Amino acid sequence: MKRAALLVVGALAISLICLGISMAADPIKVGVVLPLTGEQAKFGEIEKNSFLMCLEEINKAGGIKGRPIELLIEDDTGKPDVGRSAVEKLISQDKVVVLSGGYSSSVTYAMCAVAQQRKIPFLVTTGSADKITEQGWDYVFRLNPPVSEYPQALESFMKEVAKTQSVAILHENTLFGQSGSKEFAALCETAGVKVLMKEGYEAGAVDFKPLLVKVKAAKPDMVYMISYIMDAALLMRQSKELEFNPKLFVGGGAGFTLPEFAKNAGDAADDVFSADLWSPKVPYPGAQEYFDNYGKKFGSPTEYHGAEAYASMQVLADVLKRAKDLTPAGVREAMLVTDMKTVFGPVKFIAYGKKKQQNQLPTYLVQWQKGTLETVWPKSVATKPYVYPILPWAEKKK
Amino acid sequence: MKRVYVPLALLIVLILFPLVVTDAYYQHLMILVLLWVAIGSGWNLISGYTGQVLFGAAAFFGVGAYTAALLLSKLDVSAWWGLPLGGLVAVLIAFPFGWICFRLRGPYFALATLALNEIFRHIATIWESLTEGMVGILVMQTFISKIPYYYIALALAAGSVIMIDVVTRSRLGYYFVSIREDQDAAESMGINTVYYKMISLCLSACVIGLAGALYTNYMGFIDPKVVFSLHDISIMAILVGIVGGVSTVYGPAMGAFIMVAIQEVFRSGGFGLLVKLGKATGWPVMATVTKYVSEAHVLSFGLLVIFVILYLPNGVVGDWSTLRKTLLFWKRETA
Amino acid sequence: MEVFLQTLVAGILKGGLYALIGIGMTLIMGVMGIINLAHGQMMMVAMYITYVFFHYIGLDPYATLLISMPSLFLLGVFIQMFLLNPLMKVESILPENQVLMTVGIGMVLTEIARFIFTSNYLSVKTSYSTAAIHIGGISFSVALMIAFIFACSLTVGLFVFLIKTDLGRSIRAVSQDGEAAEIMGINAEQIKIVTMGLGAALVAAAGSLLLPIYYLFPDIGGPFTRKAFVITILGGLGSTVGAIFGGVALGLAEAFGATYIGMDFEDMIGLILFLLVLIFIPGGFKRLTKV
Repeated sequence: MKRAALLVVGALAISLICLGISMAADPIKVGVVLPLTGEQAKFGEIEKNSFLMCLEEINKAGGIKGRPIELLIEDDTGKPDVGRSAVEKLISQDKVVVLSGGYSSSVTYAMCAVAQQRKIPFLVTTGSADKITEQGWDYVFRLNPPVSEYPQALESFMKEVAKTQSVAILHENTLFGQSGSKEFAALCETAGVKVLMKEGYEAGAVDFKPLLVKVKAAKPDMVYMISYIMDAALLMRQSKELEFNPKLFVGGGAGFTLPEFAKNAGDAADDVFSADLWSPKVPYPGAQEYFDNYGKKFGSPTEYHGAEAYASMQVLADVLKRAKDLTPAGVREAMLVTDMKTVFGPVKFIAYGKKKQQNQLPTYLVQWQKGTLETVWPKSVATKPYVYPILPWAEKKK
Repeated sequence: MKRVYVPLALLIVLILFPLVVTDAYYQHLMILVLLWVAIGSGWNLISGYTGQVLFGAAAFFGVGAYTAALLLSKLDVSAWWGLPLGGLVAVLIAFPFGWICFRLRGPYFALATLALNEIFRHIATIWESLTEGMVGILVMQTFISKIPYYYIALALAAGSVIMIDVVTRSRLGYYFVSIREDQDAAESMGINTVYYKMISLCLSACVIGLAGALYTNYMGFIDPKVVFSLHDISIMAILVGIVGGVSTVYGPAMGAFIMVAIQEVFRSGGFGLLVKLGKATGWPVMATVTKYVSEAHVLSFGLLVIFVILYLPNGVVGDWSTLRKTLLFWKRETA
Repeated sequence: MEVFLQTLVAGILKGGLYALIGIGMTLIMGVMGIINLAHGQMMMVAMYITYVFFHYIGLDPYATLLISMPSLFLLGVFIQMFLLNPLMKVESILPENQVLMTVGIGMVLTEIARFIFTSNYLSVKTSYSTAAIHIGGISFSVALMIAFIFACSLTVGLFVFLIKTDLGRSIRAVSQDGEAAEIMGINAEQIKIVTMGLGAALVAAAGSLLLPIYYLFPDIGGPFTRKAFVITILGGLGSTVGAIFGGVALGLAEAFGATYIGMDFEDMIGLILFLLVLIFIPGGFKRLTKV
């Protein structure tokens, strides 16, 4: 008897709650899918915070035509089938008008396929496999550049300043590492730079010395490494240990530009170059401000993934403002003619090569100088002059 | 008679399900459940009935998945041919592996399958000219509607459950169980243990390989980390098996339903209920609770395993009578 | 020549660390006949303990050995007493239930670590983290050499303990024949509890010694669990000397594989070596050396 009463009370409570929700102002629903648990959770969290930070500013400023935006953030746990569950739920139950997010490429691909089939526009924030925008999908837009376009700035630096003759390429065996290293090797080939070796490794290795010894013996002018934070830090620490002195250490973005890299590599990080998409010092409106505000609000620094998320939200707000009607088709129409400036750079979805509805961004070359990351190339946006050639380890100690 | 009617009724419900529930989200979840029913049944045959615990189900799953994907990317043949071929290729892998590794007993066999799993993952990652490495392979989905996938998955799941039922009630089943109970005794009775273990492993590999090929066709994208995942495929297969009930025909079906449901309930914070509750009550503490609940799905898997092994060592189906008694007892106490 | 020598040194030094990870596992596998698939996760717990003491109190990772080893001993005892020993009384179909239990324990440990510390990468930076001695162009990592010395002395200590003390003899007795040992008046259940504690304490030592040169996040356990059982199979179950052999063999195989075949193949070489040993020399080095 008691239990029956309890059940009735519970049911009443739930229906009251539901009633309460339906009576609130009618927000515009936007779905965002990010990895909030599992191995990639760290970056999913930064992106989620950035989305919410931007959302707060938009809604404070009055939202979209008087209506607030509501973000429905779902967790994909880093698995494609779960990511797909999340998107199916957002589309068929929550009836969102537009989707965003997408961190790892495999999950992003699975989600975009659903979005395309169900004709809901999807703005990709991070998933960087080239193929995602090469499917001819007309409901998928991508804010971030694909992985093949990261080393553009490095190319001109190698030609004009370093006059590099030979390179060794080391990469982690991930999508980012494998396709990035292939693109870079092809780029070197056409530029007449000799690729002495190109070798992958399983992320999380303990000891890179056997690999580094081999690279050292090959005597390349430059070492190009595509690695994640901790592998990157270990590679540099062990290069120092082995006193391996090429003229140039260059990272291929990702791990090499994050503050944790410098923290973990210590003085071994000094003078290391890296290709980069974004740093707080890029000449885009609001970039530095975003970086500072994030640090103030969450107590830990943000990085380019966060900027991508913040910019995605800016684009979404802009698109929803311009959309003639708030249906998926209407949002898509508005998205097609996007032309705006975000903290992550100018955004415009264009078709080129095999790609469609892809945003193109300039890339930069950055360098760690005494523990801070400085933009050094192209010269027009440099915050500090580059240090080249770099000193051998033995002389640095003094 | 009950033996036939209950499953038949269940099958009819499952056949009608997508016609009644048209929400694509629930259809997707059910497809996942059916996929896991097949994988769990495959695992159960070699591990539960024959006693050779498989720690590397993903090796067969991934091989099936890659067979389907490579057919399309290399030979330009429809990935649907991967369904029959995926099972076959998985068997072709299982055969030499069994030949070499069946001399290993108990945990050593388990470790060898785990090593096989990892070796395949590395091969698929490194052999870029064939598999595209971590870049992965794309297969465009054939159907927009989920219903065709649902019925194919249902056929696969029902087929594997029926297969287990038929096999285990035949002479083969008795051989399998006798090998599990005492391999030396079985050997001395004149049972060719390697031969029967091989049959069991090949059947298992075939079912799991088929599931892999279906995964490729349904999800449309595979990479080595996803389909050869030790954690998300191999261990999940074990969880489905032991939670549902080792060495029971319907155990894996129950296990698959429980595991997918748990994952989804935790991930979505009780299907969004917690978020609504938080908004309605306005308690800031609800946000934290929601966050922790959604983070807890792997933890809940771990705790569930520990609980099941300690208290329901034969799984929900295997220990159903105990479970029911406990529940009834509890009900009487509270009433 | 320099490449060869440097590879040799790197392989041996890494092997010392591997041996330390393997010793605990070999003890557990030898005595209980089960594979502890939560071994790497136990090491992860020890590494977090080391990290916490370093970060908040500034305690040197080597000094933390005195804390991490006893704490993990207690964790091992707890796991054996409340989670693994009760299983022996539970009727179940699969004899591998204990192994499956360790999988569950591993998951729970990892997720608890994630709840407390999130998925962030952590590391401790000490003066010896990147220190190296250079002899004739070959570099010797200081931290790895210390780990190597530790591994050797722990092995010797454990060896003496198993041969000379009553408790050690009881452990060996249980590992050779549990039932017979029980008839002889040894409480096998207690011995298993002690063994699990010891195994956990040994891997804790490995964790504390590894942290200064490596890094830490909740999912770090899995790969090391895999390494640990490879080492154990290479060295032979229950053989402490075998663990050193197994560790160094794996270290060398990985290092030479990485240098002369390709770093891509580093993990695969270990796994293939593992399968070969499992099939052709079941019993590992122990069978060859009889130690």
